[in-house]
Amino acid sequence: MARVLNNSYEELVEKAQELFWLKGFKGVSVKELSEYLSISPSTIYNKYSKDDLFLDSLDYYTSNYSDPFLSQLRETTEGLDSLKYFFYTLIDALLDKTFPRSCLMVNTVVELRNENDNVVKRYDDYMTVLEDSYKVVLEKAHALGQIKDRNKIDDYAQYLLGVIFSLSILYKLKPKEELRQYIDEEMSFIN
Amino acid sequence: MRYKEYNVNRVLEKSIPLFWNKGFNGCSINEIVETTGVNRFSLYHEFSNKEGILYQSLKLYRERYTKDQLSILLSDGNLVSILKRFYLSFLEETRPILGCYIIHIGTELADSDKEVNQFVDNFLNDIKNMFVALLTKNNYKNKDAAVRARHLLGLYCTSMSFCLIHTPAEREKYIHNGIKVITS
Repeated sequence: MARVLNNSYEELVEKAQELFWLKGFKGVSVKELSEYLSISPSTIYNKYSKDDLFLDSLDYYTSNYSDPFLSQLRETTEGLDSLKYFFYTLIDALLDKTFPRSCLMVNTVVELRNENDNVVKRYDDYMTVLEDSYKVVLEKAHALGQIKDRNKIDDYAQYLLGVIFSLSILYKLKPKEELRQYIDEEMSFIN
Repeated sequence: MRYKEYNVNRVLEKSIPLFWNKGFNGCSINEIVETTGVNRFSLYHEFSNKEGILYQSLKLYRERYTKDQLSILLSDGNLVSILKRFYLSFLEETRPILGCYIIHIGTELADSDKEVNQFVDNFLNDIKNMFVALLTKNNYKNKDAAVRARHLLGLYCTSMSFCLIHTPAEREKYIHNGIKVITS
């Protein structure tokens, strides 16, 4: 990235990210964005651009929300039990609005799909880190004897990639207990 | 009457890709006017508001674009290939949109709009019941069939969101793997 990032720009991105998370990319107009950021629309057009603010919002999201969450997961020691609590924590974050509206990356996949190459690159990075984190935990589960066939770890990790997507819809429809039960059942498929 | 009905459905057919592309909140009534060629007065007269168009478009989509797909679940034969055919039928390029409009709108609005929430929940329940019937027919016991059906439904949600960014080959692999994990 060639752009110069300074403190005030970081604050701007942090705010922009809040708005994109709630309303999506297309759901936010430049006018709305400029009001929310207290800068003039022409500053957005000339200096930052809505596209760049959005891309930087995705990066802000990954480094402030998902990366810490996933590095915690990789450091766990209880295998499938740790994985279960990871998903329980995710459910809580969705329901108590720590995550104001689902996961920003999931929302973006649904909203923009493959329309923008710069966004696609960010999905790829995100999915790679997510899948690798699952693999780390599944390896530990294997060492603990919770998974018999080590060759299945890749299949399970790929399968688990989808869980954040199904949860992002189901949490809007089902009560907490049912969501937790859903996770318990997911874990029972891994053996 | 017949003429009007035709027009109403045409408005809805054109609204579906519009809402899919721009999101419900991302498009204005003026864009609907432009896309459908029907003036604002007539749109409000027919549908009351933008939400009215959305609700009707969900009904039309379910009626026209999901029935044949769901009926795949009634077929006889190999369980894995029936399920695979079912998921992939929503991802054919010939459809008005890729994936499932109901899931797409649900992801955007199921937490903020009660009517959308009910509609999506109802649709997903119907699919889940069809999964249960299919699994039961394939000798899964009652309780086991109910559990696995819930996760085949989860895989449906995933296939209609995550899989939209896949290439056809990646998508097929992901869905195949998912079915295997859930049914074995």
